Amino acid sequence: MHIPDAFIPMGQALIYWVIALIFIVLALRWARRSMGEEKIPLVAVLAAGIFAIQALNIPIPWGTSGHMVGAALAAIVLGSPYAGVFVLTLVLLVQGIIFGDGGITVMGANIVNMGVIGGFVGYYGYAGIKGVIGNAYAAAFIAGWASLFISAILCAVELAIAGTFPLELGLTFMGTYHAIIGLIEGGITAVALYMIASARPDILERPAGVSA
Amino acid sequence: METKQFVIIGIAIALVIAVAAPFLASGNPDGLESAFFSIYDAKPFMGDELDEDAAGAAEEQVVAATGNDFSYEAFMPDYSIPGLDKTGEVLAVVLGTLLMLGLVYGVARIAARPDN
Repeated sequence: MHIPDAFIPMGQALIYWVIALIFIVLALRWARRSMGEEKIPLVAVLAAGIFAIQALNIPIPWGTSGHMVGAALAAIVLGSPYAGVFVLTLVLLVQGIIFGDGGITVMGANIVNMGVIGGFVGYYGYAGIKGVIGNAYAAAFIAGWASLFISAILCAVELAIAGTFPLELGLTFMGTYHAIIGLIEGGITAVALYMIASARPDILERPAGVSA
Repeated sequence: METKQFVIIGIAIALVIAVAAPFLASGNPDGLESAFFSIYDAKPFMGDELDEDAAGAAEEQVVAATGNDFSYEAFMPDYSIPGLDKTGEVLAVVLGTLLMLGLVYGVARIAARPDN
């Protein structure tokens, strides 16, 4: 879902950069207040794992593929939507600058879509759904799916504003593909949460087995 | 599990994925690219066939429409190292993974809440 430079006019791309920067500042404030030093190695390993798994495109029907984004996982594990913003901003920065994956002028839009939406929908979706159904892993699956799907919907709206996609077709196509790709996001989010919770239950801000 | 062990296992898993990704990853366009190609008549919405000529034309069309012709030559474009084929792809994703590890560790160290 990495938007390339050509897809959004420069002026609009700058607006998304401004929005992204506001959330980056908030993410840095979250880190200063809430990210204890003992979390540093975990954040680094999580980011490395998210980068690697983003390179693994999984085929879906219709000659298409998709990969995990990982903001929901980072937000759930580290207990804040801003963790998703923090990790995804750095992942997208490296992907754009070193690997040409995702544009430079439009990186703000990619940070908003994947980091901010992914982190917020992932975190609050997880907390809310877990409160209702009580199962942390089912909640992680649904929140992961929703984080990816809603990112894609917002992406389609941005590209409609940009004049790149007509709104209705963009929503239909982006929504259909990402409803499937979301299953990858949800599945890996749930499995990774299970693995982390089993190895280090103390790391999770809210232990996965206990409802909020 | 101790933190050190947890971190080492985490890095090992990330590196295994990084090495395997170039061999396992699908080369199909991703969801956004597929939507783009479908909207610009280079690929059927629910079909496999990508018309390369139409795809190229679509990319020119979109630059003309948005006026954003910014272009940038990445060091390892599309997770590859020019001239190194599969080895280059593995190297690119592994280097990226290690770079992420170091970069995020460094930024997190500066940004984190001091404990003392």
